[in-house]
Amino acid sequence: MILCTGTLDEVDTLPSMLIVDQTKCTGCRICELACSAKKEGVFRPSLARLKVVRYDDLGVDIPNVCGPCEEAPCVEVCPVYAMRRDPISRMTFLDEDKCILCKSCAGACVNGVIRLDTSRMRILKCDHCGGDPECAKACPTGAIQYATAAQASVLSRHDKITGYLREIRRTAQTQESGGES
Amino acid sequence: MKPGGYAGRILRADLNRRDFRVEPVPSEWVAEYIGGDGFAARILYDEVPAKADPLGEKNRLILATGPVTGTLWPMSGRTVFISKSPLTGIWGESHVGGFIGPELKYAGYDVLVIEGRAEKPVYVSICDQDLEIINASDLWGLKTDEVSAAIRSRHNDPDVQVAAIGPAGERCVRFASVIVNNARAAGRTGMGAVLGSKNVKAIAVRGHQGIAVNDHERFVELANDAHRRVRQNPQAQQMHKYGTWVLTAVKQTIGELPTYNHRTGVFSGWEKLSGDYIRPRYTIGDRACFGCSLGCKKVNYIREGPYAGTLEEGPEYEGLMAFGSLLGISDFPTALRANQICNRLGVDMISAGSCIAFATEAFQNGLIDSKMTGGIDLEWGNSEQALRLLDMIGNRTGFGDLLAEGSREASRRIGRGSEQFAIHVKGLEVSGQDGRTHRSIGLSHATGARGADHLRSLVTVDQLGYQEVAAKRWGCDKLPEIVDPYTEKYKAAAVVETENTYCIRDALIVCWYSVSWPPIFWMEDFAQMLPVLTGVSRFGERKNLIEIAERQVTLKRLFNAREGISRKDDTLPKRFTVDPMPEGPGKGQKVNLEPMLNDYYRLRGWDEITGLPTEETVRRLTLEWTHSHSASS
Repeated sequence: MILCTGTLDEVDTLPSMLIVDQTKCTGCRICELACSAKKEGVFRPSLARLKVVRYDDLGVDIPNVCGPCEEAPCVEVCPVYAMRRDPISRMTFLDEDKCILCKSCAGACVNGVIRLDTSRMRILKCDHCGGDPECAKACPTGAIQYATAAQASVLSRHDKITGYLREIRRTAQTQESGGES
Repeated sequence: MKPGGYAGRILRADLNRRDFRVEPVPSEWVAEYIGGDGFAARILYDEVPAKADPLGEKNRLILATGPVTGTLWPMSGRTVFISKSPLTGIWGESHVGGFIGPELKYAGYDVLVIEGRAEKPVYVSICDQDLEIINASDLWGLKTDEVSAAIRSRHNDPDVQVAAIGPAGERCVRFASVIVNNARAAGRTGMGAVLGSKNVKAIAVRGHQGIAVNDHERFVELANDAHRRVRQNPQAQQMHKYGTWVLTAVKQTIGELPTYNHRTGVFSGWEKLSGDYIRPRYTIGDRACFGCSLGCKKVNYIREGPYAGTLEEGPEYEGLMAFGSLLGISDFPTALRANQICNRLGVDMISAGSCIAFATEAFQNGLIDSKMTGGIDLEWGNSEQALRLLDMIGNRTGFGDLLAEGSREASRRIGRGSEQFAIHVKGLEVSGQDGRTHRSIGLSHATGARGADHLRSLVTVDQLGYQEVAAKRWGCDKLPEIVDPYTEKYKAAAVVETENTYCIRDALIVCWYSVSWPPIFWMEDFAQMLPVLTGVSRFGERKNLIEIAERQVTLKRLFNAREGISRKDDTLPKRFTVDPMPEGPGKGQKVNLEPMLNDYYRLRGWDEITGLPTEETVRRLTLEWTHSHSASS
C-alpha cells in the first residue's frame, strides 16, 4: 500500500556563513590561534583571517569575520577581477595568481579582515576553510558559528527567548528577596 | 636545532644606557628549567647581588614567558613579573593573565629583563625588532587605564599590549601592582613599585611573528583535545559561570572565610559575597584571557546605590575577601569599587585590604588613635571608610603613607604590641585561606617562596575532600588522614607534590585554574604534551619534570637563604598557631606547624634544623654554580 503519493516541496538549500554573536564572545582569541595554526602552520594571530577587537574600557569583545556581506566591496573594488563571488554560496574568493597586490580590497573590507602579509607580500583572505571553518570549531562559547542565515535567525530567536525567561525569573527572585536590583 | 615553542631570545632593556641587547636563550637552560619562573630564577639569582636594595638600581625586573605561552594549549596567556620584592625583601613574583605574554612571544622574545634606572619617566616600547625607550613625562601621574589608552593612541594601534603602573607604583607603595588590559593585575609582592623605582611607567609590546612548535599537527590535536577537557570539566563550567566567587560559599561551609582580620573563619554576611547572589544582579558579561576556553573573568555593573555607574571586571574571590569579609563588609558594590580603585591606582587588593584590616584591629584595641589616622575612627564594616583609606594608601597621603609600607613595617613603626595584628608571613600579607581549618595551606603559607602565598602550593584536594583524587595522587595508604583538613599527618607530602606540579605550571606558563580544584591537567598531561611542543624528549618523563620542579623550588630557596631566610622565618602568625578558631565548623582548631615543617624539609632534601638545602641536594639539582655567587655581597 502506498501511503504517500505526491512529491515533497522543493527547499532551497541556503548557503552557510560565519555568524557572530558578540554577546557570547569572551575575547579569548582562540579563533585567531586556530586559524593561523590551520592556514600558516604556526601560532601567529597577526596572520589570522579573522580578528577579535577587544574594548578593555567597556569590557566588550567583538569578533570580526569575513561575511556575511550583502554587497561585496572587495569584489567591486578589485581592478583586475582577482576577487570573485560565488553566486550560490555568496562567499568571496581571491585568485592569488591574478592579484597585483594593490591592497584596494584590504582598504574596502568593512570588517577589516582582508589583510596584507608584508613579510611574504600576499593578501590574506578567509575562505571559510572550504566549508568547515576552524574558527567556528574552536570557539569555546559558540560566539562564532558556521550556519545558514535561516538557522541563524532561529538560533538568535531561541537565544532571545531564553534571555527573556532568565530575566523574568531573575526579577521574580529579586522581588521575593526584597526587591533589590 | 631550536626547540619548539620558544622564541629563543632574551631581550635586555638597559635604562642607564637607554639601550637594548638581545641574547640567545642558553640551550642548557631549556633542559634544566623549561622556562617562565625557571629562567627568571636563574637570571635573578645570577644578577641581583645579595642584600641589594629592591628599589635600587641593581635590582632587575623580569617579564618571563614559557614555551606554551601564545600557543593553542588552553590558558596559555599567562606571564610572570619577577624581581626582588620591595614588600618582603626576598623572592618576589606575580603572575598575570591577559595578553601581554603572548604578545612578547609574537614580538620574538621569551624573556624581557629591565636593568638599571632611568633618570626621567620613560616607557619601554617593543614592536618586533623596533625597540625604544620613550619619554613618558606626559604619562606620569596617570591611572593605569589612562596609560594604556594613551599609549595605544600614540602608536595608533589598539592591539599594543600595555603593562602599566599607576600612581601607587610611582610612589613606591610597597605592594604596588602592574596592571595589564585595564583589569588584570600582577598584584602581589610590589612589582609595580620596582618599575616605579626605575622610572618606568609602562611596558608596551606588539608582535607580528609566529611561534612554531616541534610537531604541529600532533600538538594541535592534543591542544584541541585539552580544550574539550576544559569545556567538559564540571568545575571549569562552574568557574565560567561564577569565576572564583564559587569559593565564598565553599570557604564559609568549611569555616575558612577570613573574617575580621583573620580572627574567625565564618562571616554572617557571606551570602551577599557569593556567586549565586552576585551573578544575576551585577554581572553583564563574561571575558577570558588569551587562549582560554574557561573564561572566568566577569564584567560587572552597579545600577544603583552609592557606587552606581561602576563598570569593572572582577574582583576575584581574594578581592571579595579582602574588601568584604576581612573588613566585615557584606556588600559586593564596595568590593567592585575597591577593585576598580586598586586597578586604576595599581595596588595589590589582598595586601591593601589586609593592611586596612590590621589598622582597624589595632585601632579597636587602642594601639592607634584618631590623631594618628587623621581623624578616621576605624571600625569594622564601614565601606566608605575602607575605600577612603584605599585611596590614601594608593596616593600615599596622610595615614595611608604608613599603611603603604605594608603591615609588617607599619606594625613595627607603631609598636606597642601591634605586631600581633599584622597578619603576614615574611612580610607578605596572608591571602584568603586559614591554616586552622585547612592544615596544608598553613604549611604552604609558611614555606611559600614569596611569603604567605596561596598560589605556590595550595592543596585543594584535602580541603574539598576528593578521596579518589587523593588516592590516585598520593596512594591509598595515606587515606583517610590526607583528606582530613584538621590533621598535620601527610600534609607535607601533599604540599610537596602540589608545589612540584605548580612549578611546572609556572615554567610553561599556564593558568592556575588548569591545575586545581582538582586538576584538569596533571603532570602526566604535561609530560605527554611537552615533547610534542618542544621536541625535547626528556620532558616526556614525569621524574624529569619533578626534578626540574625541585630545582626551581630549591633555587628560589637559595635566593631567599642569601637574604637571610631560614627555618626561623618559616612561621605563621600567632593567630593561626596559638589562638584557636573561635567558632564555626573548625571551632577549637589551630596549626601545629613543626611536624609538617620537618616532613617538608626532609621531602625537599633540605636540612631539618636550618631549613636550607643540603649540599647533596644542591649537587643533585646541579645548582653548584650558586656557590660562586653566595659571597658576592
